[in-house]
Amino acid sequence: MTLFHGRWRARVSLLAAGALDPHEEAAVQAHLASCGACRADLEASRRALDLLDRDPARAAEPPVAIEFLKTRVLARLDEAPAPRPFRWGLAAAGLAAAALAVAILPLLDRPVVTEKPVPDEMLARMERRLARDSAARYLDEAQDLLVNVSAHPADCEKDHGRIDVGEEARRSRELLERRALMVELGGDEVASAQPLLDDVEGLLREVAALPACVRAESLEAIHRQMERRHVLMKIDLVTRELRG
Amino acid sequence: MQRLARGERDALGPLMERHHRRLFRIALSYLRDVDEAMDAVQETFVKAYQAAARWDPVSEVAPWLSRIAVNHSIDIYRRRRRRQRSEAPMPEATTDHDDRWRAADPSPESEASGREVGQRIAAALQSLPERQRAIFVLRHYDERSLPEIADTLGMSLGTVKSSLHRAIARLRERLGSATA
Ligand SMILES: [Zn+2]
Repeated sequence: MTLFHGRWRARVSLLAAGALDPHEEAAVQAHLASCGACRADLEASRRALDLLDRDPARAAEPPVAIEFLKTRVLARLDEAPAPRPFRWGLAAAGLAAAALAVAILPLLDRPVVTEKPVPDEMLARMERRLARDSAARYLDEAQDLLVNVSAHPADCEKDHGRIDVGEEARRSRELLERRALMVELGGDEVASAQPLLDDVEGLLREVAALPACVRAESLEAIHRQMERRHVLMKIDLVTRELRG
Repeated sequence: MQRLARGERDALGPLMERHHRRLFRIALSYLRDVDEAMDAVQETFVKAYQAAARWDPVSEVAPWLSRIAVNHSIDIYRRRRRRQRSEAPMPEATTDHDDRWRAADPSPESEASGREVGQRIAAALQSLPERQRAIFVLRHYDERSLPEIADTLGMSLGTVKSSLHRAIARLRERLGSATA
C-alpha cells in the first residue's frame, strides 16, 4: 500500500459518509473505476453505515411529554446553576422502565498460552509481531488523545473559561510509561516508525506537563506543532504499515 | 430567536417544540442513556436561553443548538467516566446500553431485533474516542456538513476529515461480523 493510496482510503470513507463536495467526489469516483481495493473498501463502509441507519436511537421518542420538559427548563432557569441529574424515565407515567442492559465487550488480546515448546524462529516472529502491534496500538491511542487535546475539551468545572485537560494529561503520562517499555521490547522492529514516535513522544510530554485547567492559548502551541508536522496523518500511515 | 434574545421566556416554547426531539436523538446516540440524554436536552435549552442575547442573528438556530447539545453530551460523558473511575475501577470497554426509549415502530419482532441492533451499535459507538464519536454523531445522526462540524467542535477541517475516516474504519471493524 503506497502513501498515495493511503490518501484515497480516507476519501473513500468520506464518500461513503456522503461528506465529499462534488469536485472531490468526481475525483474519487474516477479512482474507484480503476481500483478494486477501494471499491471493496467503499462497499464495506456502506454496509456498516447501513447497519448504523437501523439504530433505534435515530427514531427514539423522548420519555416525557414536551410540556413536562418545558416545566423543567423553566424551573431550571430559576434554580442555582448546578443541575441535579434527574430520573426522566420514572417521571413519565405509564412507562415501564426496562432493565438496563450492560454488554461487556470481550477483553481484547489476551496472551495465548501454549504448552508445547515453540521453535526459536517462531518465537522471534511472534516477538516481532508483538512489538509492531504494541507500537501501532500506542500510536492509535496517542492519536485519539491528541485529537481530543486539539479540539476544545470540556470546560473546567470550577474555573469557567479554562479548559479541562486533566484526563488527557493523565493519559499522556500512562502512554509515556508504555513508550518506555516499548523501547526495551523491540527497538529494531519499529525502527522505521522512530521519527514519528519521537514526535509523538514530544507532544505527549507537553500534554503530560499541563495542569488540569488551562487557557485555550496553552493548547495552541501543541496544536500548531501537530499540524506543522502532520502528526495525525503520519500516524494513520505508520499504524497501517506496522499492522502490515 | 429575537424574542428569546430579549429575554422573553414564552419564546422558549416554540423553540423547544421544534428542536427537542432532534436534540434528544443526538444526545441519546452519543450517550446511550435516556436520563442523561434528557438532561442534555434540558440543559441545552437552559443554555440557549441564557446565551440568546449573544446569539448572532445571521447564524442558523439548528446547528447552534446541536453544538450546545453535543458539547453538553461530551461533558456529561466525561463526568460519568470520572465517576465510574472513582467509584469502582471498570474496564474501559464496559458499555452501558439503555434501551428504555420507545421505538417508533413497536411491533414485537422489530422491537427485539431493534434492541439487539441498538446494543451492537451502542458498543461500537462507545469504542470510539469521545471526539470521534461526536464527529460521527453530528455527521450521521444530525447530517451536519464537515465545515459545520469543524466549527461546532472547534477543530480544523482536516482533523474532522481524518477523524471521521478513522471513526468509520473503527465502526466497520466493530460491526464487521454483523454486516457480513
Ligand atoms: Zn484505490
